[in-house]
Amino acid sequence: MAVFGTLYGAAARHVLGVPLTLLSSVLVYSGALQFAMVAMLGAGAATLPLLLIAGVLNLRHLVLGAALRSRFESGPLRRAALAFFLVDETFGFAVAAGTAVEPAAVGRTTERTLLVAGLHLYVAWLVGTLVGVLGGGLTAVEGVAGAIFPVLFIGLASLAATRRSHVVRAVAAAALTAAVAVWLPGLRMLAPVIAGVLVALPGREP
Amino acid sequence: MSALTLVTIALITYASRAAAVVLLPRPSARFETVLSRIPVAIFASLATATLLGAGGALPAPPVLGAAAGALLASPARSLLPVLIGGAIGYAAGLFF
Repeated sequence: MAVFGTLYGAAARHVLGVPLTLLSSVLVYSGALQFAMVAMLGAGAATLPLLLIAGVLNLRHLVLGAALRSRFESGPLRRAALAFFLVDETFGFAVAAGTAVEPAAVGRTTERTLLVAGLHLYVAWLVGTLVGVLGGGLTAVEGVAGAIFPVLFIGLASLAATRRSHVVRAVAAAALTAAVAVWLPGLRMLAPVIAGVLVALPGREP
Repeated sequence: MSALTLVTIALITYASRAAAVVLLPRPSARFETVLSRIPVAIFASLATATLLGAGGALPAPPVLGAAAGALLASPARSLLPVLIGGAIGYAAGLFF
């Protein structure tokens, strides 16, 4: 997490400036969204595509949150506080920890794991961002900045592709985006949102 | 980007996390299935969008090599091999 925070800080400081780069990691705490945001801004995206990508990329939290909610025992205020730490990685840790204990301890263990893992990863993300923003000897990173985003998003796509049908949808989304880039360049930065939704809709299989 | 836009994005992000944990019922199975398909499509789409310039212009050979190396390593389904594949591809692209 700290390594990716460093990459983010190094890449984002040239696009967002130092204060907004740090603020983004403090407030948003979502690596995938923050990298997407910086990549889109770097390509000239305006506010609307940024808000749309935030809305659509964050939809997955509805599923993660719903899956965790049935395991939680505390009241709405504590759940609202814990929700800030709900990211893909902490979800995995919390579910795994809750599954490994007696039924009576599931709620307490799941909540504690989400909090502890969330705090650790949050601090690592912030420290990484700070190191990246401060330079951290990352002039080499700046030299390869153009390659960081495609590589990172290919990696994230490979992580998210848990089924063969996901790979097919990923290829279709990439083809659709390329077609938009060639024939409708003005809509290029809206293409990820449009392609993401269009490609996800058809079919009944998971 | 303005600070207001950033704060709005942060609020959207937090709201999406808190909505299901605090307020909403579990989504229907059909909706849940569609939601689960969105990230992979968006990430693939973002990879393409950041790779191609306006008009579909291809990037420099090292960037293209990095993407190819990352794609070759992607069946490992782990970020580290993909990053290493990308680095090797980038280095290979420097010779073209």
